Amino acid sequence: MIYVLYFIVFVICVYTARHYWFTLNRLFGFQRHPYIDIDTASWPLVTVLVAAHNEEKVISNILSALMTVKYPEGRMLVIPVNDRSTDGTRAIIDDFVERFPGRIQPFHRAGGKGGKAAALKDAMELVTTEVILIFDADYIPGAGLIKQLVAPFFDPEVGGVMGRVVPLNVGTNLLTRLLDLERTGGYQVDQQARMNLRLVPQHGGTVAGVRLSALREIGGWNDQSLTEDTDLTYRLLLHGWKTVYQNRSECYEEVPETWAVRIKQIMRWAKGHNQAMVTYGLRLLLGKHRATLRERIDGVLLLGVYAMAPVTLLGWALALAVFFRGVAPLHGVIALFSLTAYAALGNLAAFFEIAAAARLDGTRRRISLLPFLILGFAVSIFSVSRAALSQVSDLVTGAELHWDKTERFRKVL
Amino acid sequence: MNSSLAVAALILFVSLMLMLPLVPAFVELRRKSDASPLNVVQQHAGEIRHFANSFRTYIQVLEPTLRQCVASGATASGLLNDGVEYLALGRCDDSQTFPIVQPGATCSVTIAAGSDLIVPRKITFLRDVYAGGQFSGGDNNSYRAILGEKDIHLGRSSRVTRWVHAVGEFSAEHDCELSGRISSDSRIRLQGACNFLRLNAPQIDTGHVMPGEDSTRPNSEDDTNAGSGVVQRFLYDGDFEVHAGEVVTGNIVARGKLHIGAGARICGSVKSVGDMVLGSGVSLQGSLISGKKMLIGPDCAVNGPIIAERALRISAGTRCGSLQHPTTVSAPRIEVEDGVTVFGTLWAREHGEVVAN
Repeated sequence: MIYVLYFIVFVICVYTARHYWFTLNRLFGFQRHPYIDIDTASWPLVTVLVAAHNEEKVISNILSALMTVKYPEGRMLVIPVNDRSTDGTRAIIDDFVERFPGRIQPFHRAGGKGGKAAALKDAMELVTTEVILIFDADYIPGAGLIKQLVAPFFDPEVGGVMGRVVPLNVGTNLLTRLLDLERTGGYQVDQQARMNLRLVPQHGGTVAGVRLSALREIGGWNDQSLTEDTDLTYRLLLHGWKTVYQNRSECYEEVPETWAVRIKQIMRWAKGHNQAMVTYGLRLLLGKHRATLRERIDGVLLLGVYAMAPVTLLGWALALAVFFRGVAPLHGVIALFSLTAYAALGNLAAFFEIAAAARLDGTRRRISLLPFLILGFAVSIFSVSRAALSQVSDLVTGAELHWDKTERFRKVL
Repeated sequence: MNSSLAVAALILFVSLMLMLPLVPAFVELRRKSDASPLNVVQQHAGEIRHFANSFRTYIQVLEPTLRQCVASGATASGLLNDGVEYLALGRCDDSQTFPIVQPGATCSVTIAAGSDLIVPRKITFLRDVYAGGQFSGGDNNSYRAILGEKDIHLGRSSRVTRWVHAVGEFSAEHDCELSGRISSDSRIRLQGACNFLRLNAPQIDTGHVMPGEDSTRPNSEDDTNAGSGVVQRFLYDGDFEVHAGEVVTGNIVARGKLHIGAGARICGSVKSVGDMVLGSGVSLQGSLISGKKMLIGPDCAVNGPIIAERALRISAGTRCGSLQHPTTVSAPRIEVEDGVTVFGTLWAREHGEVVAN
């Protein structure tokens, strides 16, 4: 039992060190934004896929925004992927098709397998361009975003690109403010540090792009996956394609405004991530492929992010059990010093990362909300652990993975 | 005080101490003083001409005044809408007619000329300058920003701190320091030892254009770029070399260093994670990307974007892009020899310089 505990403590320390490494890199390291300066080029044909399942509250916003972006005329086609919507989504899309002839080609999907990956997979029959961009329907791209997301594809090593997600409904309540802080840390520090260090920036499946030939090489969209973005990241990596992150390609999104929706969302992410961990983890670490050693290590750590919640809970339980059984790990004194050191440094790591991210963003007062993140952390650790447990029980019972759409909160226009 | 009261007081005190660090959090949650979304640029796409366009709009109120000044040849002064002082010049096609001629003098008003504007040497302009016709600046001048409706010519050792936009041609003599954005709707010519950051024009030439050069000549296989064509990809885990004179059809990715021999022809794009060296006369249809330093030899022709993550040197006679297919050349540090032509954008994040061959 004690050795399991030692192992868990070791893994937690690895993640703590990783937090510090990323944060210090962002604060003091060389920052890589290699493609952001490409403002003049022979811009390739691009297809923009907008995944939409019952999105009447938001779909018109993104289509309007896409119709005003700055991209050479006739070189961009928008395909709204209307996935079995039962609300007014179809009518709104058809209205846009009429208003902007030749610029929008709708893909109305009436049946088939549920989930974003399945819908995108079906929509690929309409895609003929080498560069594909993907947006969820609740995003609002700015004028220069399409060029910024296309630019990395001039690099023949790049198979996928990911932009930065910025919450729009920040001030709604405590949850949205906490999610804003989490996103800030996740993108401004985590993703950009991975880009700087040539590790594994994660494809987010929205505000993102993929190269058609790379997608074909890896076998297309995986409709068995709950998180097609994580799945895509690892399959690209295993086939020698890079996913790059563009921190300055920012796009507004809507974050969940209720805890119930947030819990559902994070549980889906956790299940999808764990699914990818089981599928690709060992192969990435030990298999014969083109990923570098640092990509292998970072890739596995990234895959393990959601598994850390149940592992941490297990660690707590083991620590209590060890204590009540009267075992003194590492002769007591060393354990006490270690605990004190971790309380000071380890617990601070995630907060330091988010505070540094907010500082890099030029925001100040929102940092004072950091103590409330413990609340978000508590909700996450139990929700993610619950997701992992239900995943194990699904495995035993043979139940199929179920894809849940995230509810929107914007008012219908 | 009885013991239970003391315990209660202690608990209360400890609770208050624990709550103390949360006070700023509660205050911020209630006041929402920093609860607006991060400011994302939604409307403009970072165009190089953004400031020039804004200045043109800003100065539009002077149009009637300038017309009158041009007609009468007089000079007028006053305040713009935001209280900034201006000097409207009707005629200034001789440096001696410029109101300030004393070398070393400072001009602290916005200058607007309805027609050609010729300014004397060693003047520091603290405000923006507008020229309705040609603009010609003397040596050793310092400018904040210039908008010219025709050609702009800067004298030797001039400095620009923010931006310049010329509707016609922009040219700068030796040793100029061009910080900020320099753009032209026609052409940019920089002489030796000029420093630059961001340049954009249909054609950018450094030093003297080689005799017999035809700027309208397209590069070979001009009609494709890296993003649109689906071609085979060759992936090499270590260093790689394309031999002199070799013809390769496909994209090349080398995870180490890459050397492309003289006269090689690549029908595709090329990437190296390490340093990249191109020999003379290499022709490349797609883009050229290096994760570190890049050296482009003489007389090369590259159609797609050129990106070096650390440093880039372009040798004489090389052409980047074409008039039909403009492109971007970018690196933190760029050295461009005399006799290089870039069609589109030349962008040095930290330092760019025109150097002798």
